[in-house]
Amino acid sequence: MRKDKGDMELAIQVAQPRLRAVPQEPAPAAPDPSDAELLARVGERDREAFEILYGRYVRPVFSLALRRLGDRGHAEDAVQEAFAAIWRSASTYRPERGAAGGWLYTVARNAIVDRLRRNGPTADAELPELASVEPGPEQRAEDSYVSWRVHRALEELQPREREVIELAYWSGMSQSEVAEYLGLPLGTVKTRTRSGLARLAAALEGESL
Amino acid sequence: MSREPTLDELIGAGATGAEREQLQKAHELLLQAGAPPELPPQLLKPPGVEVARRQRRRVVKRRTLALLAAALIVALVFVAGYGVANLRNGQSKPTAAAVLALKGTALEPRARASLVLWHPYDGNWPMTLNVVGLSKLPPQTYYEVYLVRDGRILGSCGSFRVSGPHALTVKLTAPYALRRGDTWVVTRQGPGTKEPGETVLEPVST
Repeated sequence: MRKDKGDMELAIQVAQPRLRAVPQEPAPAAPDPSDAELLARVGERDREAFEILYGRYVRPVFSLALRRLGDRGHAEDAVQEAFAAIWRSASTYRPERGAAGGWLYTVARNAIVDRLRRNGPTADAELPELASVEPGPEQRAEDSYVSWRVHRALEELQPREREVIELAYWSGMSQSEVAEYLGLPLGTVKTRTRSGLARLAAALEGESL
Repeated sequence: MSREPTLDELIGAGATGAEREQLQKAHELLLQAGAPPELPPQLLKPPGVEVARRQRRRVVKRRTLALLAAALIVALVFVAGYGVANLRNGQSKPTAAAVLALKGTALEPRARASLVLWHPYDGNWPMTLNVVGLSKLPPQTYYEVYLVRDGRILGSCGSFRVSGPHALTVKLTAPYALRRGDTWVVTRQGPGTKEPGETVLEPVST
């Protein structure tokens, strides 16, 4: 093999094929049950409802746990415990007292705090802040809740919208690079980004969050 | 990522008025929230009902049963996660961005591998390499995974060793801005060499 000094690339012969995007599942046609409806069903020990709820919330719960615990292993345990708590206490949820998303956030946060306490005072994520420029507890709590809501709302997007949103915001690619990567016209990428943002805004304004 | 995108860059200047205000708010919240973390395979499926019940027992301090349940959780989660990872089920979350099949070259004709590329965060593309059939190498030699673009090696995505031809799963990262058409190869690296060695796994032709 030969190394090109200028750009660190090296000549190599490789077979095809090339990287291709995995086809995404189309969005289901039937209207999805609300979080409140699912919680009511979980309260009656409906396993299918629990799995749907899990699919909607596992990433927000894991994200929240990771923020608070700072350790992936502990965060994974906390997610298991949070959903076990949701399974146990779903029957106590009362829609008239608030949105299902807020109730789920509280249950998940409590499970994570329990895990934090069991881990003891050495957990890095809970070290006291000494003359720090880092955000204070209130700001961190607000940031956590914003992340929770946004990550939950992402689950509402169609797969093709979510794909361009994730690439546009967190891959480091420009829209032109996203278009090239997905093999789509730039205009299509921008249209999907726009419709995704609109759907996200609508979801964030929804009562269930 | 090094720079946050602006709304104009993402959607152009078409939206105005209340719609633009709504989009701007969602845009700012996305930036504030940051990328959702990659979901570990262990969390792809919900805990079993039995798991939940056993955890309740722990809460009421039935310590022995709780320990058994915890062991069961670990075992079930590990088995489920391993199975899901191996099945590379595209319908589960997190969704794989791409899956690439690799076959052994003449140097390792019995080797096979699949490279699962997950959706990126902070400019990094997590990858899982499932490989089987590679030979154990002499001391100070190892296997290296290289990103290839337009027929040329662009950079390394990590290295690994094997203790025999059994199945092995390796987590890697591609810290590059990937493009459609990118692919990967696995090479055999000798001691002290920084140049890509001989290719032992290459993409399966379709």
